[in-house]
Amino acid sequence: MIRVREAAERIVSKALEKGFEEAASRVVRYRSVMVKLANSEPSVIQRWDEVIVGAYLAKERRALVVEARPSRLEEVDRVVEELAGFVSSVKESPLYAPLPEPVEVKPLSTTCDDRILEAMKDPSELAQLVVNAAHEEGAERIAGMISLKYWERAVATSTGASLYEDQAMMETYVRAFIDEGSGQWALGSRTLDKDSIEDVARSAARYAREARKPKPVEAGVYDLILSPMVVGNLMNLVAFMSSALRVMMGFSIFSQRAVGENVASSIFTLLDDARNPQLPGSTAFDDEGMPTSSKPIIEEGVLRNLLHNSKTAHKMKARTTGNAGWIMPHSWTLRVEAGDCSLDEMISEVKRGLLVTNNWYTRLQNYVEGIFSTITRDALLVIEDGEVKGAATRLRIADKLPSLLASVDVVGKELYDIKWWEVRVPTRAPYLLIRGVHTSKHLD
Amino acid sequence: MYEDEVSYALKVAEELGVTYAEARYHGRRGLTLTTRNGELLGVGRDLSVGIGIRVLVEGALGFSSTNRLDRASIREAVEDAYRLAKVHAKLMREKIEFGEAKLGRASYRVLERRAFDSMDLSDKVLLLRELWKRVQDSVRESRVVVVTSTLTEYVEEKTVASTDGALVASRVPRLSFNYSFVIATPEKGTIQRRFLYGASGGLELLDEWRPIEAAAEEAARLEGVLLEGRSPPSGEIDVVIGSEIVGLVVHESCGHPSEADRILGREAAQAGMSFIKPGMLGQRIGTELVTVIDDPTIPGSNGFYLYDDEGVPARPRYLYREGLINEHLHNRWTARVFGVESNGAARSMNYRSEPIIRMANTYFKPGDYGFEELLEDVKLGVYLKSYMEWNIDDERWSQRYVGLEAYTIVRGELGEPVRNPVLELTTKGFYGRVDAVGKDLHFYAGTCGKGEPGQGVPVWFGGADLRLRRVKLGVVA
Repeated sequence: MIRVREAAERIVSKALEKGFEEAASRVVRYRSVMVKLANSEPSVIQRWDEVIVGAYLAKERRALVVEARPSRLEEVDRVVEELAGFVSSVKESPLYAPLPEPVEVKPLSTTCDDRILEAMKDPSELAQLVVNAAHEEGAERIAGMISLKYWERAVATSTGASLYEDQAMMETYVRAFIDEGSGQWALGSRTLDKDSIEDVARSAARYAREARKPKPVEAGVYDLILSPMVVGNLMNLVAFMSSALRVMMGFSIFSQRAVGENVASSIFTLLDDARNPQLPGSTAFDDEGMPTSSKPIIEEGVLRNLLHNSKTAHKMKARTTGNAGWIMPHSWTLRVEAGDCSLDEMISEVKRGLLVTNNWYTRLQNYVEGIFSTITRDALLVIEDGEVKGAATRLRIADKLPSLLASVDVVGKELYDIKWWEVRVPTRAPYLLIRGVHTSKHLD
Repeated sequence: MYEDEVSYALKVAEELGVTYAEARYHGRRGLTLTTRNGELLGVGRDLSVGIGIRVLVEGALGFSSTNRLDRASIREAVEDAYRLAKVHAKLMREKIEFGEAKLGRASYRVLERRAFDSMDLSDKVLLLRELWKRVQDSVRESRVVVVTSTLTEYVEEKTVASTDGALVASRVPRLSFNYSFVIATPEKGTIQRRFLYGASGGLELLDEWRPIEAAAEEAARLEGVLLEGRSPPSGEIDVVIGSEIVGLVVHESCGHPSEADRILGREAAQAGMSFIKPGMLGQRIGTELVTVIDDPTIPGSNGFYLYDDEGVPARPRYLYREGLINEHLHNRWTARVFGVESNGAARSMNYRSEPIIRMANTYFKPGDYGFEELLEDVKLGVYLKSYMEWNIDDERWSQRYVGLEAYTIVRGELGEPVRNPVLELTTKGFYGRVDAVGKDLHFYAGTCGKGEPGQGVPVWFGGADLRLRRVKLGVVA
């Protein structure tokens, strides 16, 4: 059985032996089980058990990175040796900064939920639970998945950091079908709670029922209520763009904005909530061994932080935010600050609008200007004079991301922990009411 | 390549009493160089080796993988796949069965004409640096804000074996090169481009692609779109669609909806479903000019393979033929359900991925029009050459493409640039409007995503330029 901390330290030591001046290593031992569901039965049950190794190597300000799923650690040694031969062929990295000196890292007060570890042995009961709950709520059939994961992660650096943590999480999402309607809901959590899993299935089925007789609506400008599923998808995009390197590479609406500028409505706050132990994705340390922090990306509409590692921080004269990625800084887990409005109150605020419960396939024409579209999926509910008046067939949201952020008018008070195919970074999000959003629709 | 380990996995599975098992050694070794404005941000070496095992037990399908290749770890992986499938068998409403198929016992290798290590790393870095210089020099009035590029070379090796006799080993090297740039003026804002080259083979592909020259020429043209581009004409017009967009359209609205697992609902909660339902073979989807083929066997292609990951020989699949829905993409499970033979569409991204139905190289069959002939009887129209934004609904019916490089067509001649024209049509609306197809076939590289966990596999998509009649274009709001 591999010990991840020892393995990480060993890789750093071998790298220094091979002549590198600096090294960091990340070793993850990962076990996971996933039941994928389709037509209300398991389509496949998957299980993984693997060791994932990463290494950052630097010499004379040249930076090299290894990402490996090796069959033996000795294979990593050979790669490190090979990369040592590359040093003379490459130039100094413009992002070079020395690996940071270690500082105290306080572990998160999170523990692995034993129920997750136990369910990994036989998740069939959970699969049955999901199917039954959705069918009891009227679903004709469902698709979805349940995933259970446990992993150990260690980071060691040549500056002396040697850190370890272990974590567990569960994820489930369900898409339910009734007549022509469908509804989808999702959950990512540190704990395994059967009631919460059933709630996911029931929420999906309820939305499917509301959407079972959709009618076409015209494209145009609408007030949109975005569900936490949609908010999660769009906030993943905002977080992607808040990585300092993406800003430098022209893949960000923040490329032409500065920290401290207004970029959103004053009632909107988005955090990289890395030290919130309740949230899957939270972690105590990054890949450079630096402590993570919970901090706003956007606070009350103001761009407060780009996400940095020590390299991008050095380049942009900032401080690392504990979001390394050796090359690309990234968010760990996201949270939108809650407001004070219930969903019903939010609906009552809308004269002519739509409740978008899910979306997918968000793509951009221009990252700098944030020109994008995304297509609605599952229940799309029509709101007239403060009430839901039926369901609509699909439309696209086709607008500019900065306009959407600036037009957030009401923030829901309930937060939902979302993670699914289109929300890769776990996101705790409310419903949002956004005014005056452009939509588009196909010609036949 | 790891034939002993693969055989051992099958032996353990047979001892356990599975209905079917397949084991796949799957390795990938690659190198990536990433630059920004000509400066090397980093060199990345990636390595991924392991075994994926799939078993059928009492009608339930189990998959397990490990990258520890000692016998104890392989046995544990097989036993876990077996145990998990068995405990879920009670939940199966319809038991999974695999159809009979011709299975390969073969070995094949794609050979590079210029090996990856035949060029010094420093020369590769110089190539990427040259991209930055040339793109910068290509604009007249604007500013090139940023140019990024990535060069990736890797070799994929597999050994696939199954309890019913498949044994196929393969080695495929692949090269890809992608670039992006942003051009800006204070008055007109920005225009952004991303583009990917990709194919199987070695460094000889760089000579074929000429990516530096192509990117610089494109940047100059896109500056024209930024400075002079106007909204597209309103009302119904004729539209000539460039092969780059045609390729994407056939990938999204023919290839994906033709995946039989999607038709049966297996991807319903992830990549979605299909407007094609069982029993729709033979139904009309477009004009008689519409034939779309998916062919894994094209030499040098990005999606090249000769046997799929179930060991079934690959062949061209005519998905739409002369305007009719003609054939679906199958693996051995869907083939059994549809009562046909698998046409070899099962692919997996790496050892930790189950084989699922994927496209390989999907293209619109060329016609006989030259480009000028496509334009010549268009009184007023738009030529959409390239795109950035696109999407399609999860049943593959409502699709949208936003033109990047585009021009008006006036009395058969290309005119002024058009900025951000939007083509938003149903699948039948697109194929039903095709009235002329060009003769020059071009392919474009992509990474196609599907599955849970998501799997990205290399593909080509392509076609020739073609013409649509009576289209109303939108414009970005």
